Amino acid sequence: MVNFTVDEIRGMMDKKRNIRNMSVIAHVDHGKSTLTDSLVSKAGIIAGARAGETRFTDTRKDEQDRCITIKSTAISMYFELEEKDLVFITNPDQREKSEKGFLINLIDSPGHVDFSSEVTAALRVTDGALVVVDCVSGVCVQTETVLRQAIAERIKPILFMNKMDRALLELQLEAEELYQTFQRIVENVNVIIATYNDDGGPMGEVRVDPSKGSVGFGSGLHGWAFTLKQFSEMYADKFKIDLVKLMNRLWGENFFNAKTKKWAKQKDGDNKRSFCMYVLDPIYKVFSAIMNFRKEEIDSLLTKIGVTLKHEDSDKDGKALLKVVMRSWLPAGEALLQMIAIHLPSPVVAQKYRMEMLYEGPHDDEAALGVKNCDPEAPLMMYVSKMVPTSDKGRFYAFGRVFSGKVATGQKARIMGPNYQPGKKEDLYEKTIQRTILMMGRYVEAIEDVPCGNICGLVGVDQFLVKTGTITTFKNAHNMKVMKFSVSPVVRVAVEPKNPADLPKLVEGLKRLAKSDPMVQCINEESGEHIVAGAGELHLEICLKDLEEDHACIPIKKSDPVVSYRETVGEESNQMCLSKSPNKHNRLFMRACPMPDGLPEDIDDGKVNPRDDFKTRARYLTEKYEYDLTEARKIWCFGPEGTGPNLLVDCTKGVQYLNEIKDSVVAGFQWAAKEGVMAEENLRGVRFNIYDVTLHTDAIHRGGGQIIPTTRRCLYACLLTAAPRLMEPVYLCEIQCPEIAVGGIYGVLNRRRGHVFEESQVAGTPMFVVKAYLPVNESFGFTADLRSNTGGQAFPQCVFDHWQILPGDPSEPGSKPYAVVQETRKRKGLKEGLPDLAQYLDKL
Amino acid sequence: MANLTTDGKLCIEREIDVQVIDNDETEITSRYLIADTCNWINSNKYTKVCLQFPDELLGISSKVYEELKKGTEADLYILGDTSYASCCADVVASMHVQSNAIVHYGHTCFSKTNIPVYIVLNQKSLDIDITMKILRENLTDFNLQKLCLLYDCEFNHLKDELTEKWFQQYPNSYIASISFKESINRFFGRIVKNVSSEEYSSEILKDCVCIYVGSRGQTFFNFTVSVEAEKWYLLDPASNQLDVIQETIWFKRRRFLIEKCKDANVVGILVCKLAGDQTKQIISRMKQLCKANGKKCYVVSVGKPNVAKLANFPEIDIYVMIACPENDLYDSRDFYQALVYPYELEVALNTNRDFYFTSHITNYEELLPGNKHYKDINDICDSTDVSLITGKIRETKVTAASSSTDLVEKQNWQLENIGQSLSKRSWKGLEQKLGESNVKQVEEGRKGIPLQYLNEPE
Repeated sequence: MVNFTVDEIRGMMDKKRNIRNMSVIAHVDHGKSTLTDSLVSKAGIIAGARAGETRFTDTRKDEQDRCITIKSTAISMYFELEEKDLVFITNPDQREKSEKGFLINLIDSPGHVDFSSEVTAALRVTDGALVVVDCVSGVCVQTETVLRQAIAERIKPILFMNKMDRALLELQLEAEELYQTFQRIVENVNVIIATYNDDGGPMGEVRVDPSKGSVGFGSGLHGWAFTLKQFSEMYADKFKIDLVKLMNRLWGENFFNAKTKKWAKQKDGDNKRSFCMYVLDPIYKVFSAIMNFRKEEIDSLLTKIGVTLKHEDSDKDGKALLKVVMRSWLPAGEALLQMIAIHLPSPVVAQKYRMEMLYEGPHDDEAALGVKNCDPEAPLMMYVSKMVPTSDKGRFYAFGRVFSGKVATGQKARIMGPNYQPGKKEDLYEKTIQRTILMMGRYVEAIEDVPCGNICGLVGVDQFLVKTGTITTFKNAHNMKVMKFSVSPVVRVAVEPKNPADLPKLVEGLKRLAKSDPMVQCINEESGEHIVAGAGELHLEICLKDLEEDHACIPIKKSDPVVSYRETVGEESNQMCLSKSPNKHNRLFMRACPMPDGLPEDIDDGKVNPRDDFKTRARYLTEKYEYDLTEARKIWCFGPEGTGPNLLVDCTKGVQYLNEIKDSVVAGFQWAAKEGVMAEENLRGVRFNIYDVTLHTDAIHRGGGQIIPTTRRCLYACLLTAAPRLMEPVYLCEIQCPEIAVGGIYGVLNRRRGHVFEESQVAGTPMFVVKAYLPVNESFGFTADLRSNTGGQAFPQCVFDHWQILPGDPSEPGSKPYAVVQETRKRKGLKEGLPDLAQYLDKL
Repeated sequence: MANLTTDGKLCIEREIDVQVIDNDETEITSRYLIADTCNWINSNKYTKVCLQFPDELLGISSKVYEELKKGTEADLYILGDTSYASCCADVVASMHVQSNAIVHYGHTCFSKTNIPVYIVLNQKSLDIDITMKILRENLTDFNLQKLCLLYDCEFNHLKDELTEKWFQQYPNSYIASISFKESINRFFGRIVKNVSSEEYSSEILKDCVCIYVGSRGQTFFNFTVSVEAEKWYLLDPASNQLDVIQETIWFKRRRFLIEKCKDANVVGILVCKLAGDQTKQIISRMKQLCKANGKKCYVVSVGKPNVAKLANFPEIDIYVMIACPENDLYDSRDFYQALVYPYELEVALNTNRDFYFTSHITNYEELLPGNKHYKDINDICDSTDVSLITGKIRETKVTAASSSTDLVEKQNWQLENIGQSLSKRSWKGLEQKLGESNVKQVEEGRKGIPLQYLNEPE
């Protein structure tokens, strides 16, 4: 049934102005995959009649079973635009002259918040996004999250109002009500866009506008859709009005008086809103005629809208007939493809403004220019955004986007992992690309080479990359920027094989799992436990299932989910902490204090980071956090791993040989920041100040051996004297439910230490939205609990939001943090009880 | 002078943690086997013999010396303060006086030596009847199961009585008695025998429930991790408690360290033992393993290791310690870099070994050619995989590294080019800071010695 061939596609790949790379993003259950089917059916891969039932892009069995998208899936489609529609494309970089065909690379992404890392990976390789909103439930939390991410990545959005069939059939909305609903959604979306995009920025204005045709309406399930362009075309001749003008008239405050044939800007007794009159009325008529089985009316309507039923459809009635009629009248594929081709940018257009967001190196080197100009003759630059498992166990396709040059089978390229630094050898491999492939839903097709602006898969580079990386042929190329995820892996389970002898298989499986998912972390902890960490319970459930069935292929025992904690301090150290080196000849004097609110997050987000110019950073810290300027300039390092949210600050004055021991002190700091004093968990939000240092005058007596362990001891003493505390991760939880269920939600949240900070009604619907903070540790089984307490009417979406101090003193037996510390110590095989200050603190 | 040197008082006044053993002097002859020892020295015609005492027995060393002198003509030397562990015979110290043999007192680990050693074990009392009673009460259900009894060296003097009563109670079982003679079936100085004194290899213990009589220390620990048995029981005569001991958490931690070995680029081979040819062999074996896997290695010998000494080499990623298995440093978490057993490096780097093991090999001698647990080293190809510790790709690069014959570009004659790892350090040598620091008048600095400068409060 495929109506295009790989050769045709390869031909199209060179016509870079006629390429559209796009993702479909939305809140969970707003109908992305179903809508995508309409497009696929238009491009001919599956039979048109089955569109809306198959979910072509849900390639996994569990995706089909659960009706939820888990992995993002790419397909390429070929589509020709008619001459009359081509004139809508005005930018010369948006289409090649005399070429009607368009190549659309579409990535369908999951909507559940636990899988939003898949969305991030999809957005990176696309230039435009089709934002799908269920017009019944409106703009939801995940709609906002993904839209914000899209804007941040400079992805241009277009909007689609889905599930109109529900609005008409179930909610029986009046035309004006429905218009108001649409209007509100458009507004909401534009508010989000305006918040995160600067109209004067390089992307220009990106707001969506129905009268321009960048907003679509319809039903993915029934396979019909339209934009104002479709309706304007129907009326333009009749009214003798220019198409574009008419489109403007059909939206917003435009009213038409049928008697006087006059347009007005205001509603009065006789006139009617043009959108309702010309767009919604015909649809309502068709719906009501068919659903009420008014045979004659149906026949006359069909003639009016120019639909002739095929013989096999003629004896259908009710919903089945409605589907057939609507689908023939307003085919979804047609409307959507027009929206995509006309309103989404080609790689040529998009890469111009995206380059600076994508490339870490100088913006004028060969690679940067290649990306900016989307130049197939420039050196190869490709970003691998994720790994897709192959049928060959343990191997993966490296999936990504060619931004510059061409990637070809047999080509020798540099494979650079995220830790690669130009000029160094770490994380760099020069290897041959075994094969280049085209990925289409369930199928892959080999292809000789792929030029820039396209999305493809590579065989043979998976073993050199963990999750993502840059492929290039340019020797001095820097990395493409790593992706920033909106979720964090805060929920963890420990896994072990049911049969202990299967351990090696488990380890192999974990390595594969680590590759197959952009977010999951598989960690072998100091204690020897194997931990799988994911964004939420659902994410973990899927990962563990994959691990058990696909990657390790052995039965697995899993612990109950737990969260990881962070160690921090509540106040400044109550004394100057001194530790002496083992030879007693060197002394370190330090204190710890908590960071001001917001600084750890700034470090997480990279707003304050070790690579900043120290003067700029110091100014920022002084202005925002009132740090002393001289001290802020003398930040020795971040930690753990040199980047974490803890600081070591040199506050000494005139200490001899201080620079000589800096490396050793930093090493000791990294050690202590990674393994805190209470339970060997990472530190967070702690600033350590070095106030004085006495050093032996002979270098040999102040070497690493003397200083590294001493620094660690001193930092531990600082922590213990500064009211040590534990931090736990907290979810931002958004719950949608009808009003009667709100009470039940409060009950459940209260029992789980959650607190509500916002409650509002979704305008135009009977639904309420409750926003609350919920400790991740209390979130296990939350969804089920919530459902049983609200009669299944409340649906929560939880996303990691921040770290918060776990109330209580961990050094006080009986408190909650104490229990957590003891449990953690036991699990890690550490001595139970509390660390003893005397072990770390020395006296002069 | 006080300003220049440490006050000598400190050394004298420093308190050392040593258990003083109360010894009745009259007992010395029998307790320290004076007659047997003299007999051994005389019959072997040794002329120079070293008497090696652990710290806690140093107090009676002169008494023992005097008693021995009465029965032999040989020159006797007392050795104390053993370099590494007092359980091993200090061959190097004995070589200083070119002695022919060593008499070793106190707790021993039965390691092989290349010099004759006469072992005099500690003696401790044990109420065998009570011991047997506890066993009878607790192990009633085990009539069908094979049992094996092991006991601490301290009870070796009660060997005959213990054996007799053990077999009376459990005639179908085994006893692992201490043996000073080399034999293929000997493990940790013990040989498994049945009621009719037939010898068995330690393999047989796999199906046995083993009971160890003694205190919970490193010796017992080594048994539980390296000798596979159905179950391990510890009977501590001090408390008369019978406990099942399992070390699953320890095994998990060791497997983590094995992963760490795979991640390491630079391995330090830490030599903490000098006696015997095996030490040299195991060092070259470790070197060979590192080389086959493209890892750099350095032999580090710093005397008795401690945290400060080892942290002086921050470029080393992991240490493999060649030491007596009765060493407890392996489990210490205070070290900047972890210490692993030679066996663990083998498991990590020798593809012929299974990653999954249920019994550890704490005694490295068994890894050497000709021994039970020897495995060839395979040739390894360049490969990559994911490290679950760092989450990064780790690469095994065997070939490249040194094979390049390209000329190295001359880089400004800077000394820092001598080592790649040094280039990661921020401190590159003395800083002149010309023109950066303010010109100041000469001012008085601190006085005194680093231990306590004069300007610091007492």
